[in-house]
Amino acid sequence: MHVGGVLLVLAVMSSPGAKGGAPVGTHLAAGANAFREGHYEDALVEFRVAQELGAGDAGPYAAATLVKLGRPEEAVEAFAATEEGRDTLLDYYRGVACYQARLYLCADRLLASVGARSGPRIAEEAARARAAIASELAKEPPRSTVDWYLTRCGERRDAGRPALAAALCEEAVGLAQRRTDRYRLTEATTQLAKLPLSGRAGVAR
Amino acid sequence: MIAILASMLLAAAHPCAPVEPAPVRDPASASAYRKVGDAERSAGSPETAARAYRAALALDPSDGAARRALDDLCREAGGPFRRGMARMDAGDLRGAIAAFREARAQGSDPSAALVEGVCHYELGEDGEARAALREAATASAHREAAEFYLGLIALREGDSGEAARLLDAAAANPGFAPAASDLARLARRSGKLVFSILAESGWDSNAQLAPGGTPISTSSDGSLSVTATGLYRPRGESGPYLRATGLYRAQARFTDLDFGGVSAAAGWQLGHARRGLLAEYDYDYRLLGASSFLSAHRLLAGGWMPAGPLTLGASYYARFESYRAALYSPFSGTLQRAEGTVGLRLGRSGRFTLGYHLARDGVERSELSWTEHGPGAELRVALARRLRLAVNAAVSLREYDKLDPALGIQRSDRYLDAVALLEWDVGDRLTARFSLDGRKAFSNAAAFDYVRIAPTLGLAYVFGM
Repeated sequence: MHVGGVLLVLAVMSSPGAKGGAPVGTHLAAGANAFREGHYEDALVEFRVAQELGAGDAGPYAAATLVKLGRPEEAVEAFAATEEGRDTLLDYYRGVACYQARLYLCADRLLASVGARSGPRIAEEAARARAAIASELAKEPPRSTVDWYLTRCGERRDAGRPALAAALCEEAVGLAQRRTDRYRLTEATTQLAKLPLSGRAGVAR
Repeated sequence: MIAILASMLLAAAHPCAPVEPAPVRDPASASAYRKVGDAERSAGSPETAARAYRAALALDPSDGAARRALDDLCREAGGPFRRGMARMDAGDLRGAIAAFREARAQGSDPSAALVEGVCHYELGEDGEARAALREAATASAHREAAEFYLGLIALREGDSGEAARLLDAAAANPGFAPAASDLARLARRSGKLVFSILAESGWDSNAQLAPGGTPISTSSDGSLSVTATGLYRPRGESGPYLRATGLYRAQARFTDLDFGGVSAAAGWQLGHARRGLLAEYDYDYRLLGASSFLSAHRLLAGGWMPAGPLTLGASYYARFESYRAALYSPFSGTLQRAEGTVGLRLGRSGRFTLGYHLARDGVERSELSWTEHGPGAELRVALARRLRLAVNAAVSLREYDKLDPALGIQRSDRYLDAVALLEWDVGDRLTARFSLDGRKAFSNAAAFDYVRIAPTLGLAYVFGM
């Protein structure tokens, strides 16, 4: 299993919910076991059930499991309610979710913070991902890329997914700021401001 | 409880499998599982949803909503789209196409149109692929993916302008940007009519192929060369083509080795990069030291096809050579060469090819006629998005037919050849090249035992229309 997987299981097992006993703790523990064994669908179900039953701390674990399941956009949404910087491992998974969801600025910010606080394996993987991101961000982003993020932001907002929309708009703002002509920066900032504050992926940091 | 739940979840996640009731009913937990199932189903994750519904029914067999949802998932699991995806994953592209068509017949389905288009593209059925991909492009979620594949089709049909436009559009999606940008650059160098010009400057440690032991300064030479090529493919990659090449190389010291020539070829390629056949006629005329040197007609046939992860290839040519100068006329005759290759793709940006060749040069004088065979290997890899490396090595074992009266022996030669080529795309149409060419010839005739190393620096400009 991936080193992050072992650490995540340890994190779940030591969380207040897991120690809290049945039924919430049972589901968190079942989710952690399934995660450790690589049964990520089962892990997701158990973490989600724990959430349904009131375990607030199950959300980021479900989000990490969504990363493992290759559902990065949902993971970005699931992480949105979690504060950045409190747990290195969760920040790592969150960074991976952003990277896979093509939110490169978000990923770079998170993985940079992870690098300084994590163990050597996670730091190495974070550094590798950051190197790939650096090559993506090396040049001034084309206008069409800013357009792409703004279009997706609007589409996700209209589809009732404000957290994901905010993450996309935030990326558009960041990319527009990297252009000398600040292409559509005002529009992106305005669009981002109209989204519910609580749903924004990067706002909680 | 954990063990029971885990075993229930892991034992059978398929929505149609029977559900074993848990020893203890727990409607509250069952309700939570059902809600998770509903959320997962809404998110488009039927497998996870089925696991949740199954757990809900195990804990509360009377949960009618969970039962109905699981029954729906069971029906959908046998649906044409999922069947098509399973067949596509298994490599059965024809079966997948049939299933996707069934899905599209039930109503507009851009997702099915996209994957059906991809299947047709993989099979080389560009017309069918284009129709399906155009339908998929109407859905914003699939627009860039469809444009990417439409761009690939335009590229292999030789419509470079349209290919570049589609690939540039697809590159707006950051997920497609790296591949689409590279291919858009390739598109600008492709087309129905492609011109290229290559200017090179090089140094040759042994331009005269002097025997080993000769001081380098006596045989080394610098050179400047220019090669211009035009390629016309009216139907794109697959179809007839015409090619014309002109080249001239001027030596700095040994001007009697100045070399020039023109060649013209007409051929037909049937198929694309994945599988194809090729036949070509080529005429070469060469000058050496400003004098007529060689006139040659060549007939070439070749083919390549996939075999699992490998690509198998074979080629054969016969070159009818007529040397004009009296000094070289005994070398006039027919050169034949056959080669078989096995290629293996290395990741997304590399290829390794192994080959074995057999060649026969039957010329006017039997002591100059030879038969040759030997293995070769080539590695091509993209080191970065604009930087490519190719390394080629070959061994040739050559035996001459008869004793050479002038040498007093029957020649037997061995050649070790190696070439490394580094290419850097400076711009959309401009490429810088550095090559290092080396040969070590071993011969039982000391005069033909030599070493040669030739580094070359060049700049190529390619544009397509």
